Amino acid sequence: MIELKHISKWVMIGGKPNFILKDVNATVNEGEFLSIMGPSGSGKSTLLNVIGMLDEFNEGEYRFFHEEVHRMKEKQRSNLYKQYIGFVFQAYHLIDELTVYENIETPLIYQDVKSSERKAMVADILDRFNIVGKKDLFPTQLSGGQQQLVGIARALIARPKLILADEPTGNLNSKQGEEIMNLFKQLNDEGVTIIQVTHSEKNAGYGKRIIHLLDGRIEREE
Amino acid sequence: MIKNYLKIAWRNFTRNKTFSFINIAGLALGLATCILIMLYVQHELGYDRYNKKADRIARIYFEGNVQGQKMKESTVMAPVAQTVKTDFPEVEQATRIRVNYEKPKIICKGNVFKDDDFACVDANFFDVFTIPFIEGDKTSALTEANSVVLSEATAKKYFGKEEAMGQVITLKDGNVPYKVAGVMKDIPSNSHFHFDMLASMEGVHESKEANWMSSNFYTYIVLKNESDYEKLDAKLPQLVDKYIGPQLKQGLGQTLEEFRKSGSDISFHLQPLTAIHLYSDFQNDLSVPGNVQYVYIFGAIALFMLLIACINFMNLSTAGASKRLKEVGIRKVLGSFKKELSFQFLTESVLIAAVAFVFALAIIYAALPFFNQLTGLSLSLNFSQHPLLLPGLVTVILITGLLAGSYPAFYLSSFKPVQVLKGKFTNNKKSSGIRSSLVVFQFFISITLIVSTIVVYRQLSFIQHKDLGYDKNQVMILSNLWQLGNKQDVFRNQLENDPRVEMVSSSRYLPAGSSDNNNFFITSAQKPGDIIKTLRYEVDEKYIPTLGIKLKEGRNFSPEFKADSSAIIINEAAATALGITNQPIGQIINKNLKSGERVSFTVIGVVKDFHFRSLHEHITPLLMTLTPDKGNLIVKLKTKSPSSLAADLQKRFAAYGAEDPMEFSFLDERYNAVYNTEQKAGLILAVFAGLTIFVACLGLFGLATYTAEQRTKEIGIRKVLGASAVQVTQMLSAQFIKLVIIASLIAFPAAWWAMNKWLQGFAYRINISVWVFVAAGIAALLIALITISFRSIKAAIANPVKSLRTE
Repeated sequence: MIELKHISKWVMIGGKPNFILKDVNATVNEGEFLSIMGPSGSGKSTLLNVIGMLDEFNEGEYRFFHEEVHRMKEKQRSNLYKQYIGFVFQAYHLIDELTVYENIETPLIYQDVKSSERKAMVADILDRFNIVGKKDLFPTQLSGGQQQLVGIARALIARPKLILADEPTGNLNSKQGEEIMNLFKQLNDEGVTIIQVTHSEKNAGYGKRIIHLLDGRIEREE
Repeated sequence: MIKNYLKIAWRNFTRNKTFSFINIAGLALGLATCILIMLYVQHELGYDRYNKKADRIARIYFEGNVQGQKMKESTVMAPVAQTVKTDFPEVEQATRIRVNYEKPKIICKGNVFKDDDFACVDANFFDVFTIPFIEGDKTSALTEANSVVLSEATAKKYFGKEEAMGQVITLKDGNVPYKVAGVMKDIPSNSHFHFDMLASMEGVHESKEANWMSSNFYTYIVLKNESDYEKLDAKLPQLVDKYIGPQLKQGLGQTLEEFRKSGSDISFHLQPLTAIHLYSDFQNDLSVPGNVQYVYIFGAIALFMLLIACINFMNLSTAGASKRLKEVGIRKVLGSFKKELSFQFLTESVLIAAVAFVFALAIIYAALPFFNQLTGLSLSLNFSQHPLLLPGLVTVILITGLLAGSYPAFYLSSFKPVQVLKGKFTNNKKSSGIRSSLVVFQFFISITLIVSTIVVYRQLSFIQHKDLGYDKNQVMILSNLWQLGNKQDVFRNQLENDPRVEMVSSSRYLPAGSSDNNNFFITSAQKPGDIIKTLRYEVDEKYIPTLGIKLKEGRNFSPEFKADSSAIIINEAAATALGITNQPIGQIINKNLKSGERVSFTVIGVVKDFHFRSLHEHITPLLMTLTPDKGNLIVKLKTKSPSSLAADLQKRFAAYGAEDPMEFSFLDERYNAVYNTEQKAGLILAVFAGLTIFVACLGLFGLATYTAEQRTKEIGIRKVLGASAVQVTQMLSAQFIKLVIIASLIAFPAAWWAMNKWLQGFAYRINISVWVFVAAGIAALLIALITISFRSIKAAIANPVKSLRTE
């Protein structure tokens, strides 16, 4: 599903390249649950963003379902990730001005799903996540765990093949965190590919495979 | 999708109340002024457009140079209309208007009316001009002599609910009865003529005479094609050779050849109907013409006003971008394209423009009476009357929304989601640079307007306080004394003996306001070849002291000198023109008569130049002769309550059997009325200068608020490190003050250039002194400073611990 070859990314500081990612090679197959670990500044989030096509890289090749992402224009990439990828963030990134319902509905609007269909899909997922009662609340009225739940619901609403999660439990207490990780595991069992970035060994353990990053390189895999 | 956008827009709108208010208030004001001025501009540009043939109608005017005097008249000779129609095939129709300059007295069913405009027109008048009939037949209404067509309002006034058709009204002068042969709709206000009734030309003998020496007829033609206009204009001078030439010898005692040899010439030209209102400069036109210059100026102001309001919107949106950026980032991650985001932001700005428009409408309704008073028009925002108004306004809203929203939309939607979501984003240099230049632009406009306003008011005050060479205060003018008949002398004597009156003079010539003018061509004894054009004022011996005109040399007229009937008093300009400045007294001045004879005058005095014309014009040579006439009584008053004197005189006037009330005016008021246009322009400028600076300050206030918010952490740290509130305030204000100063530096030369140009229109004018700029700059700076300080001080005195903790 994902094939990264010799991916490098750097920024120029004082005339010298400062590598954020250096010669990263990786393959991710459908149905995997991959955890990316590493200390702060090791490039985990950047790698996740590159995979999610939110960030660009300077060198290397990236194939997504055999399509050559490195040759695409922004709009094509946008079309691609819109179709296949759902994002979950550490800071949830819900739109404060929209209600829970509207937040979840938004990706569908951008995919030109019909209004009646949208209603049914959102109702489904609200039901599944047990947050029907919260649908008219605004994000600021929810606890962190609830917000992240909404965030995941939103990521799932368009039935993506891949979920990219950047420290999804970073802002949550351990109980909430556990619930979220169990949810991910359950989703993975249902066939959704998941790539998560995490600091926590425990959370990384939910994954079937772990990649350790250090200074932009893949240090080891387990 | 749109619903979603609107929802977000509305929630954002209610969440940031201050900024929403600034945006709405600014835009509403901008839109309101813009629409108001556009109504005015449209009114001015739409003159005479109600005529279906407007584009093919032209007026023939008469221009020439006769014995050194330029003449340009909007009226031509009676036969011109028929002649152009027969001589030039491209002329489809020709029609004439003959006007009575005084409103006639009309007797109708025993009532007397005297406030209605009356004119005689040719029978085909209604074929040329589109004025619909309510009753009667417009092709045949005026074919018979002594038939008249009344306007709807006049018919109602004269006959009430009764049928007007077939009734008779009588012109008191000559006791002529006119039969009402039709009722027409009132002539639209944006027409260059306004008549309450139109009578048949058949009864006007003068209209049938082939007299090419007297021009009293406004003559309009309809061309077969618009394109014939210039071709025909080039052919019109032929008429001079063909028709005027033969009659010239009789009238002027010169053949056309001799006439042209002496440097004189005359010709006819065409003026398009639609150009009459804005481009005319005739001495007596059918209505006071507009001025295209003011149309341009106000149009520009309207545009600037709207632009300034839009800039506020742009600045506030981009400055507040950090608040919206998270949303932009998330939406992009969720699959929104840049295009969709731009569209979303544009929807928002159009929505805000629409809300602003509702407020603008309220402002317009409230301001229209004031604006109408200012412009002397009766504009209205009447949607049913102007079918194009609503779509026009909707377009304005859309354009405003798009204009105001385009930059923020482009700016906001261009962010990379990663940047934004990681919180790396800080307002970048480029956009704050653009914001700064937009603020500079706003203040550039405001300061230019402030400088212009100051200059206009300084010139007006100069006009007001200028030593005119005569005393305009405490002078009353009585003008319709002829009504007293043989009691005029008694009336005057009583006035002279009245303790409230200092002195009385009698003359038709007045130095301020409309007055008779009498051209007089003279030569000095030394240089008999040089003909000098002067004005001749026929006065009595009291004229000079009554008006406080100062004698420079020699003496005033005196009844004791019998020879004073051939004596003249000249002004300094005349002395210079005649070349007799050294020894003017006793010089002989000659006047050549048509018959070849010559009349001689002796100069007995020279008066200091006084401004007998407006300050737009230079003082020209003038001479006065002792020729008592009974035109006006010029009364120098002692009393401080002229109104009670006027009331007394009014009673006496009636007691002496005058039919109409005495007409009187005051010289200083007549003087001020001459500068009416300038005073209005000054007032309008002042209002707009105030409005633009207000709207610009609204924007500045918003920006200062954002800056203070953005720098909360920095301010907190600085305060912890020991900065005082004053220092922080200074720091926050400095950046904006810099912008205002830059704006001033750009505005000064621009304003100087524009106002210098305006002042060129005055022969006597102020110099634009440096302090005008200093005052305008300081005023703008102070206003800006006060605006900013509200926010800066609030930010500066906030408790630093709080701001740092929330971070």
